[in-house]
Amino acid sequence: MRHFWLCLVLLLSALPARAISIVEVRKSLVRITNTSQEANYRTPWNPGAVGGGTGTGFVIGGNRVLTNAHVVCNARFISVERENDPKHYVAKVLFIAHDCDLAVLSVDDPKFFQGTVAVSFTNQIPQIESSVSVYGYPIGGDRLSVTTGVVSRIAFQPYAHTNADSHLAIQTNAAINPGNSGGPVLQEGKVIGVAFQGFSGEVAQNVGYMIPVPVVQRFLKDIEDGHYDRYMDLSLTTFPLLNPAQRRALGLQEEGGVLVGSVMSGGACDGMLKPGDVILSIDGHAVQSDGFVELDGERVEMPEVVERKFKGDTVAFHILRDKAPLDVTAKFEQAWPFHLQASEYDVKPRYLIFGGLVFQPVSRDFLQANPTDNLRVRFLYNAYVSDEIYKDHPDLVVLSGILPDPVNTYLTGLRGGIVDAVNGCKIKTLQEMADALAKPADQYVIQLMGEGRPIVMERAAVDAARERIKTRYNVRNEQNLSE
Amino acid sequence: MHFFRIAAFLIVSLNAPLLMAREKSEPLAVAENSSVSPVSVVRVNVTSQPYDFLRPWSKRAPFQRRAVGAVLPGSRVLTTAEQVANATCLELEKPDSGEKSPATVEVVDYECDLAIVAPCDPKFLDGFKPLAVVEPALGDELAIWQLESNGTLLKTRAQFTTAEVAPYPVGDDSFLVYRLASALQARDSGFTLPVVKGGALAGMLLRFDSRTQTADVISTPVIRHFLKAAAVKGGYVGFPSAGAQFAALRDPQLRHYAGLTNGNGGVYITRVQPGGPADQAGIQAGDVLLAIGNDPVDQDGNYIDPHYGKVSIAHLLSCGSSEGAEIRFKLSRKGKELSVPVKLTHSDPSQSVIESFSIDKAPRYHIVGGLVFQELSRQFLKEWGPEWTKKAPERFLYFDQYQDELFQNDPRKRIVILSHVLPSPCTVGYEDLNCLVVTKVNGVELKSLADMEAALAKPMDGFHRFEIQGHPGEIVLDAKEVEGIESGLMQNYGLPAMKRL
Repeated sequence: MRHFWLCLVLLLSALPARAISIVEVRKSLVRITNTSQEANYRTPWNPGAVGGGTGTGFVIGGNRVLTNAHVVCNARFISVERENDPKHYVAKVLFIAHDCDLAVLSVDDPKFFQGTVAVSFTNQIPQIESSVSVYGYPIGGDRLSVTTGVVSRIAFQPYAHTNADSHLAIQTNAAINPGNSGGPVLQEGKVIGVAFQGFSGEVAQNVGYMIPVPVVQRFLKDIEDGHYDRYMDLSLTTFPLLNPAQRRALGLQEEGGVLVGSVMSGGACDGMLKPGDVILSIDGHAVQSDGFVELDGERVEMPEVVERKFKGDTVAFHILRDKAPLDVTAKFEQAWPFHLQASEYDVKPRYLIFGGLVFQPVSRDFLQANPTDNLRVRFLYNAYVSDEIYKDHPDLVVLSGILPDPVNTYLTGLRGGIVDAVNGCKIKTLQEMADALAKPADQYVIQLMGEGRPIVMERAAVDAARERIKTRYNVRNEQNLSE
Repeated sequence: MHFFRIAAFLIVSLNAPLLMAREKSEPLAVAENSSVSPVSVVRVNVTSQPYDFLRPWSKRAPFQRRAVGAVLPGSRVLTTAEQVANATCLELEKPDSGEKSPATVEVVDYECDLAIVAPCDPKFLDGFKPLAVVEPALGDELAIWQLESNGTLLKTRAQFTTAEVAPYPVGDDSFLVYRLASALQARDSGFTLPVVKGGALAGMLLRFDSRTQTADVISTPVIRHFLKAAAVKGGYVGFPSAGAQFAALRDPQLRHYAGLTNGNGGVYITRVQPGGPADQAGIQAGDVLLAIGNDPVDQDGNYIDPHYGKVSIAHLLSCGSSEGAEIRFKLSRKGKELSVPVKLTHSDPSQSVIESFSIDKAPRYHIVGGLVFQELSRQFLKEWGPEWTKKAPERFLYFDQYQDELFQNDPRKRIVILSHVLPSPCTVGYEDLNCLVVTKVNGVELKSLADMEAALAKPMDGFHRFEIQGHPGEIVLDAKEVEGIESGLMQNYGLPAMKRL
């Protein structure tokens, strides 16, 4: 049995000075047991291993249960329990937001919600040093556990669930343990956050994190239209303007402003901002020279302004371009589409097998399952966004494995190479590769990146080997092209 | 941090052999009969001091190492190039009397790892018996010569088991090595030692693996080629090559694709270096190399050497002919056979965009207001310690490994980098910048660090503008301020000079 917590982290709770009664809290608290199946990126044609664990959730309005995405990701079967009710109820994921580690569940049996109390959220970020209480089922116990502490810090933090997103998070010193994930953190009878991650004792002491109410509210608002659109992103990098000479050279007379270092093509600011621009203000909030803005009386990093935006919203910049002031407005048409550097959940690994050669797109999950010393793969993966590798290679299709067979017996040294072209056609995605290999031809010449020998596969030999390979290696499907 | 580790490693490796020697009173090795006079070898004592590429204005701590060199005709001594690398003090020492003479490096080739050393006193080696060079045969019993600390010659038997082309320690080249099986013990001269057959030189020890008791030896053909090239009036030129890479052609599907219908030999040319010998001869990637001269090439790229049997054609090309020689390549292109003459030439490693080694050369640098600019080299990457291939900046490792491909059509001769920042009043806000590629200064494209000086002579509106590849795009310094803080910066950080070009 596994108890959910992330990155060695978990949640904590504290008894507020004027807490709502423990009876009230108990009525809304939910213990969640998830049976999950993780995708297998090593043998992608196999269904992954079945595992699972427990976490915490709580009842919110509309007969729904709020919890962490990582508690219910890759779910095959979810059961929920309430305090003092022996029955296990079947739950389903209504919405799941991996980028902010939140999920909403429904329970079909209306009896589950009888007698529960939907908790209410506070409207503000708590004060530093104010006390908080964490409620949940740490270490899998089936009786409620409460811990208390204070708010230690409020800052942008990486969210460990995807390894790629950062949002506001509240740090607390209340004990946080596996199993607390998804539980409410209360202050003065109201929820101020959702416990979600922390550090193991080997890394840091008494450091636990909760997802603050603005992030929770954003998620609940985003799904109001029946679809989760994900976080919007500026898709640019900025550089602090602390150097006096650089400021003078840019024509900056007064305090503030950050330099635009790079703008990712295809992002929200593509065509609106360019490297060398100085962002003076964002949505009317003056940008300080270290990239912070003042928001609701707090000094926060500039992207926090965008954190509250939704698909279709706009963001207004006042900038200095070539020493002349300019106002530009960027629109968020869609969330950043390239998430190969993020851990993914609830997806089926994509792959393609041709003559026993296994081709897969490079991703964080793929590299975790198939560690490589191949410098080309490592570099293109890490530089995927910064060097805009996605422009020519939305997928980096790699020859990830070879199922040995007479048809491919001379190709063993080529494992790990990235596909450049098939029969002279440049390959940008796994789908394009599948299409190229489906076109009738006597032979298929697969050129890998770099200056090595081509892979030559004769159609007749591949056809003759197909059933043999499928049977020997227990491959049910030769390809899965969509997640 | 990693400097400390390197230092610790050196101490261990220097001490261990001494301990071993004391523990074993009875040598495992069988000494040959000692009737041969030991006056064919001398000690080569070297103090080395490499440059510190992370602080290119300074050198690392000096260290000593000893070797046993082979005395050659003409009062010369043969040793490995690694032994004399970055030498600040070089001495020859007579084994019996301990008499020393300062010496100089006459010819050194780091690619084949050989060096000729000459004593400053021309009569120092009088009375020594120079070694002739002999080519051993597979299976021969050879001897590895070492010197005891008292000057006695210790000969350890070694069985010549294999001859094959293998990478040499410096640079990217591979040449013929002999593999010997030998129970060699450690002595105070390390493992840079002559290998002898019947009183004649049969190789120089390249490395010894005490775990497997395997010795890799610089082979006689490599030594002969080196000595021959060293004797050429008008300057030494390194080993020739064809400037082409190949892959094995065992795969019947690839053979069919390459247009081969019969036979089972030949290799598939995968890359032809632009402007190199093969390119100039009209050879293309995708051609099949069937024979070199009269030697057929098998499907793995071997030919039958009259002396060593099956050996890679790399040996035939590097040692089988001399620089500038013309040799016929028999090719198959799309099923048609053709024969082209290829003029083999040496490919100078210092001409590559990222140099594979930088020995005896002071690294170039230019410090501007505290920004430290250098040229990217593999030696710079090696400063990340024994695990540099994993720990050095990944972008630079990628540039280095794939430089042939990445910079093939690049006008740059070198990659100029901002290696790090020495914080100063000029560099406020830039302190954390490091390992970035710099493309332009004041609008001038940098083809090498040499272009920086002229570019800095023309500030733009009083500012120096440095264009960085990728984030953060551009950084700026005030030209007057840079000038004003120069002496203070030099004093503060103990810099001997702001640049070395």
